Parts: sequence; C-alpha cells; structure tokens
Amino acid sequence: MMSDLNPALETFTQEVDELLTTMEDALLVLELTPDDVDCINSVFRAMHTIKGSAGLFGFDDVVAFTHEVETLLDKVRNSERQIDVELIAVLLACKDHTVQIIQHALSNENEPLPIALQQQSEALITQLTGSSPISKGMTSTQEKKTDHFVVDINSSDSCDNWIISLAFKQNALRNGMDPLSFIRYLQTLGKIIDVIVSMPTSLCMEELEPEDCFLNFKIAFSSAVDKKTIEEVFEFAEDDCDITILPPHSRQEHYLQLLEHFPEDQLKHLGEMLIEIGALTEKELDCVLREQRNEHKAIIKPVGEMLIAKNILQRPVIEQALIKQEAIKQKINKEANYIRVDAAKLGYLINLVGELVISDAAIRLMVEKHGLSDVNNVVGAMSHRVEEIRDTALQLRMVQIGETFTRFQRVVHDVSKELGKQIQLQITGGEAELDKTIVEKINDPLTHLVRNSLDHGIETPEERIQAGKPEKGIIQLNAYHDSGHIVIQISDDGKGIDSEKIVAKAISKGLLKPDQIVSQTDIYNLIFEPGLSTKEEASNLSGRGVGMDVVKRNIEALRGSVSVDSELGLGTTVTIYLPLTLAIIDGFMVEAQKERYIIPLNMVEECVEMSSTEWKIDHVQHYVNLRGQVLPYLRLGDFLHNNKKHQPTQRESLVVVRFGEEKAGFVVDELHGENQTVIKPLGMLFENLKGIGGATVLGSGDVALILDVQGLIQYAKKRVSPALALSMND
Amino acid sequence: MVKTILIVDDSTSMRQVISIALKDTGYEVIEACNGQDALGKLTGIKIHLIVCDINMPVMDGITFVKTVKQLDHYRFTPIIMLTTEMADEKKQAAKDAGAKAWVTKPFKPPVLLSAIAKLVLP
Amino acid sequence: MTAKVNDNGILQIAIHDEMTIYNAHSLKEMFLECCHSGTQELQVDLSAVTEIDSAGVQLLLLLKLEAQKHGFTLRLFRHSEAVIDVFELLKLSLYFGDPIVIHANWT
Repeated sequence: MMSDLNPALETFTQEVDELLTTMEDALLVLELTPDDVDCINSVFRAMHTIKGSAGLFGFDDVVAFTHEVETLLDKVRNSERQIDVELIAVLLACKDHTVQIIQHALSNENEPLPIALQQQSEALITQLTGSSPISKGMTSTQEKKTDHFVVDINSSDSCDNWIISLAFKQNALRNGMDPLSFIRYLQTLGKIIDVIVSMPTSLCMEELEPEDCFLNFKIAFSSAVDKKTIEEVFEFAEDDCDITILPPHSRQEHYLQLLEHFPEDQLKHLGEMLIEIGALTEKELDCVLREQRNEHKAIIKPVGEMLIAKNILQRPVIEQALIKQEAIKQKINKEANYIRVDAAKLGYLINLVGELVISDAAIRLMVEKHGLSDVNNVVGAMSHRVEEIRDTALQLRMVQIGETFTRFQRVVHDVSKELGKQIQLQITGGEAELDKTIVEKINDPLTHLVRNSLDHGIETPEERIQAGKPEKGIIQLNAYHDSGHIVIQISDDGKGIDSEKIVAKAISKGLLKPDQIVSQTDIYNLIFEPGLSTKEEASNLSGRGVGMDVVKRNIEALRGSVSVDSELGLGTTVTIYLPLTLAIIDGFMVEAQKERYIIPLNMVEECVEMSSTEWKIDHVQHYVNLRGQVLPYLRLGDFLHNNKKHQPTQRESLVVVRFGEEKAGFVVDELHGENQTVIKPLGMLFENLKGIGGATVLGSGDVALILDVQGLIQYAKKRVSPALALSMND
Repeated sequence: MVKTILIVDDSTSMRQVISIALKDTGYEVIEACNGQDALGKLTGIKIHLIVCDINMPVMDGITFVKTVKQLDHYRFTPIIMLTTEMADEKKQAAKDAGAKAWVTKPFKPPVLLSAIAKLVLP
Repeated sequence: MTAKVNDNGILQIAIHDEMTIYNAHSLKEMFLECCHSGTQELQVDLSAVTEIDSAGVQLLLLLKLEAQKHGFTLRLFRHSEAVIDVFELLKLSLYFGDPIVIHANWT
C-alpha cells in the first residue's frame, strides 16, 4: 500500500489554487489582448497540469472535465479556434467549476459527482465544444480480458514453456534499453527456466564497438500470464529488438480448445481469430501484415504460413484455426441458403395442398363421370403436378432426426454419472428424415426409453465385469427408413429382460392366467401394460412402471408402434415404427359392406382376387392359407360392423398387409385402387373406434375411413387359435 | 544497490505522488521542476532512470532529453517521457531525441511503476 | 583495475569498477591487452564489480570466446553480488564453468 498521500493532496490543493489564479489573471488579460501567446500557454498549462495530477489521485471526474477544456485550449494554441469575449466568459466559468469539482473530489473521495455538478460539467463542455461530452474512462482502468489458464509454475517440463526470442539491435544499449532489465522484469511474471545467450560468431574483441549490442536471447519461460502480457514486458524495446513469443505446448492445447468453441456466428480473418483466443497479439499481426504487403505480389505467402515460419505460432494451432474458419464459412453459406418460415404458415400451406389433392380427385371423378375424354389429358397432367406439389410441400416439414438423437448425449452423460455407471451413447442413422411434428412428439417417449436403458438396462461396472462384459456399457440410437415408415431403435448391451419375472408379475397382477401359454413376443409386450414394472425399487429416473404404457400410447397416437426384443444377459432393443408424415399419404381404397376404407399403400403387400385359387380360409382355426403361408385374417366388413355377418359378394378379395414383421389378410368386397389420402383427424366421437386411425374426404365429397392396420393385425392375431399363433410368431 | 530515479515535472503534487509511490517500492528519488533544474542535479551521481514531463516552463522535456544524451555520465540512461494522448507528434519528437519509453497522461501510479520496473527493477 | 602476473605465469586482473556501457570502452581495451599478453591462464577477480549490465555481460562472453580462440584458460573468481545476480538470471554460471562462492551473508 502507498504511504499517506495527505501531504501530496495538500500540495495539490495549493498548486490548483495557484494555477487557477494564474489562469484567471491570464484570461482577464486575454480579454484585452486576445493574441497574447504567453497568456494562452499559461491557461493551457493550468488545465494540463491539473488534469495530470488529478489523474494520479484517481479523480476521474476532474480528469474528464479538464481534458475537454485542455483539448479546446490546445486548439486555441494552434490557432484552430479564435479566442473571444464569449469564450473567455465560458473559460472563466470552467475555472470556477474546476474549483468546485476538485473540492468535491477532495472531501468525498470515492463518491460520484452530485447530479447538479455533473450537469454543470456537461453544460460547460457543450458550450465549449458545441457537442455533448462522451464519457471517457481512464486508460489504466480499462477492463482486461482475463485468461483463466492455470500453470504449475514448478513444472520443469522443458517443452512446456513459452519460448521468447529476443534479437536486440545495435543501438539498444545506447537507447537505455538494457536487455537485462526486461529479463529481470520478466521474472516477476513467472519463472525463467532457461536462457540461451548468443552472439554472432564473427564477432571478435578487437573489432567490437562495446556500446553496440550484439546479444540474442532465447528464454524458456514458465508462466500463467497471457501472450499479450508477455509482449508488454518488451513494449519499450519494440524499436530496438525483434521479439517472438512462442506459446508453450499446454497453451497450444488451450488455444485448440478455444478454437473448438469459437463462436460460429461471424466469419473472421485468421489473424482476428487468433487474437481473439489470445494466441496472437495485435502487434505480431501488424508486423506480419506489413511484411506481407512489402513482399512481391508474385510470392505472397498466406498469413498462417508466415506465422509458422516466423516462429510466432505452432502449426497445429494455425491448422485448427483454418479448419474452424472453413467450418464457419460453410455454416454461414448454408445459413444464407435457408429461410426461416413460421411453422403455422407451413401448416396452412400443407392444409391447402390437402384440399387441392381432394379437389383434384373431385375433378377426375367428374371427368370420368361425364366421359370428357378431351379434358382427360389435361386433368392427368394437372394431377401429376398436384402430386409433385404434395410431395414437395410435405418435404418442407421434414427434418433430420439426428438433432433429437444428439440431445441424448447430455442425458446419458449426466445420468450415467449420477448412477455411477459408465455408458457410451452411439448414434447412427441421424440423417433419416421425418415430419417435424412427429419429431417433436417422439422426444418424450424416446427420453423415457433411453432412461429406461440407462436405469434398468445397463448394469453397474462391477456387475458388468462379473458378467464378463466390458466395463463401459453401450446404448445405441439408430434410425432408418422402411417402406414409408421411419424405424427408430433404442438398444443397449445391458442385462436384458427376464421374461420369467415378467410372467410372474403379470400373473400376480392378473394380466395373465397361470396356465396361459404365451409367446416370447407377447411376454415382452406385457411391459407395455399399465402397472407392470420388474424393478423392485423404482428409481427417480424411469419411475415405477408407469410410463411404458404411456410411451406406447403416445407412439400409437402418431400411428406408430413399438415393440421390444431382448436376450437375457445380452441386452434389449426397443423398436419404434412411425409414419413419415401425418398429413397426406398414398392410400389404397377398398370397400366392404358398402363402406369405403383406406389402407396406407405402403402397408399393402399384395391383393389377391377371390376367383383365384391361391388362398383359402380355414374357418375352424381362423387363418387364411395363402399359397401355403399361414396368415391371421379379418373380414373387414364383419369386423368393423361389430361382427354382424353379411352376405359376401362374389368378388371378395384378400388384401395382404404388413406392419413391421407382422402380416395379416383383410377380406374385402371390392378393390378401388390407389388414392391420395389427406388425413383428417377423427372427431372426439370416433377417437376410440377400434381399427380406425383417421378419415379422409374423397373426391366425391364422401368420407372414407383410414384403417389402423397395425391395430387390426393385432385383432386378427387374437382370433387365431393359440397353438397356431405360437407357431406363427416364432 | 538501490536504484535512483530522477523525476522532472513542473507540477509539485505530481512529483510528490510519484515520489511517494517510488520510495514505497524501494527506489531512491530525486526531483526537479523543469529541464534546467534537472540538469543542475546531474552532477555525477548515479541515476538509473529519468521520468520526464514534456510540457514544462523554462526548459521543456524534449530539449532536456537532447541535452542529457550529450552528457558523458548520463547519455545511456533510460528515459520515460510523460506524454498526453493528443500529442503523437510529440511522442515521435521525444523518441527522436532519445527517450524510447513513455507513459500516457493522465495515469495512476501503478501504471508508471510497472513501466519503470520494466527498465529498472527496484 | 589492477593487473599482476603470478610466479607460475598466470595473469590475474581485478576489476574495481562497474561493468557497464559507460566504461565499456576501457574494459574492452584491458581485455584486449590480456588476450594479446600470451598468458596461459587469465584470472579475473570480480569481487569489486558493483554493477554489471548487458554491455558488461557482452564483454565477458566475448572474452570467453577469445580465450578459446587464443588457447588460454579464462577463470572468473570472487564473483560479486551484482555479478552473481546476473549470472543467475541468464543461467551463465554453467557456461563460464567457474565455481561461484555464495557468501553466507548474502540474501
């Protein structure tokens, strides 16, 4: 701490008194003889001196005010501004004001200027300059960027030091720039590990001009300060010395890290990037750029190469910066090609496209009805365009699932730490696209499933080692497209599902009868039944067995499905099927009992007409035999009309549908062929209609129901005799 | 060896504050109120560094520096000039005269102290 | 500074002054004389060196080079506080290879 400043403050007060009196006298003389140079000088010096001293004491308000007056007086001195009676009046007021603000500073050391005085300062400055003051801080109080870098000062690792090279010029010593002083000062910032002093070998005592400097230094320096601080040590030697400061290796890592996290919002020059991360100083860059300009146009070297050649920075840092720069460039280019669109507007557009598709169907119907053959071609072409518009519009809503997947990295990281497990998340197929609405809605179920794997799936490291598995567990998120659906898989290499436990639990909960024969798939599907959890103690993560049924409901609400496969001790895979879009699909229209139904086209495997001998229904065991293949089946008309039997038409057909691994046959009265189907949500009233997933409006204005194929397959399977069902599953 | 610093400034309070700060840090201090006064104090005693204002009555800083550079005993002494931000051409004039280091006014004591320490540690 | 020649042909000099840019010229002249004296060994007593700067260090380094060139041994001894300080700073002790005695009262 500094000694008592009070005596100095007293001197300051006296000095100010004298200076201001001189100033006043001089101003009064100037009123009569405005050209008196001596008077102008003494007025200037008064303000100049007060400003300097006030700065020393930290009276920033006084400095700010006197600075403005001094600047004006400098202009008067240089005849840039005329002194007149008005200006003298203002300057006299400034003198009085200076007395006041100094008095304030002396009696209330750290308090800011009262508003009245502050306003007076501003008013006077405005009168002096004709413009409002800009608040100006002291140069010394400028905020410095702190570099949070910790270095073990005692580390003696020889390659982990700053390498400072100093080549002093001949006149350095004559200019009072003793290299030793700077090196001594350097010591106050860190530890000098080694110094190599060298001189030109041609030098000999005989010819030495001993006041010249021929010394070169290479200093290995260990310090936590940043490059700029080191450079500032030699600021005065700048003209007399060539300086290069090569960062230590650990610092290089630090720079690489900073580069990795470099903000990507703006494209910057290499130099700017390096300055921002502290790897390069402005002086170094200026120096290199100047040199670059001076070189012949033909052999201009890139800045990065020059920095390496001049030993200012190591190659990896430059390369990393260039890579980052390129990445930013690409990102910005990419962003420039995107337009942000309000999702609501997009939704509206897609609705309109839906209506357009219906209108298109209506027109085609009319054309057909009235036999307008000459319109036919035009309508055909238009329909083709409408289809293209539909696909393009739907494509607008498609997003990659990758981003949803990546978010789980953090979840896995945090939760595995919390549970004391070692788990790695592997992501594949992130580029698969699906409708944005579905992506948003799948997030919750996905989170639940991943947490399940984290919590119940992957074992603790000890358990894993005992089981002969690698300590680190793996959870994999995978996505791929499969016939108009996206398939999402969450798999882990954990302990798997113990089906015996599930069966026991299901029996105790009354979900199964003790003697019931169930397939492995059915057992796993029990997991999705409400109120079933095999974990004795529920954790706060995946809960108490509520959830899996909710997961299933959420996925089915998206017209998707979920299934589980597992092998005890080896792991579990949950597979989710989802439609790519919720808006418009290609449908296949069938008729049963005078009602029209739509089956999503991508679920239709094949259609076989009644007349063919390829299929036969076994009414006893309730299956259909298609070319020797045993399939569960439903008579759509009967099923959807609460099993009221009706007289089958002569033209009955079989539609084979597939959902995932499962197949079934629907017996229908008539096949109407392909049709673009705009999916309309069912009203509340129909929400629980079994086997129906939605509705659509036909070209004729009639409503057709969209079949919930997956649900219907389940119903069909239940009708097959249990023994046969087992053989079909496995 | 204790390092001696010569302060040349026409403001008494300025000299006083600098001198207190320097003595606290461990330097010996000699004060002078202008160039003429300072030359009178350069009588053969060892001076390790000179801190010098530019704008002073009687003999200004630049004339003083030019003179010091002619003195056998003091011509290699490092000199820190106190310049104002508005005087870039003055800074160059001071450099040409032989003062290679500078501190911009107004400043707080630590700024001057670290500038001095780079040239002469206490 | 003083110079004397030992019985066994060793040239011994003592520097009673600072070793700075101010007296660099006279130091150079003296070192040059020593180099040309044809001695086998030059011993430099540094005990009275009150101050040494880069110009002084430069001269000592050059003297070492000259010794190698002229084929005589350079031995620095009784390093003063100021000299030790600079040698430590620039890690020069090893280069000159002379034992440095640190005085007990030196802090």
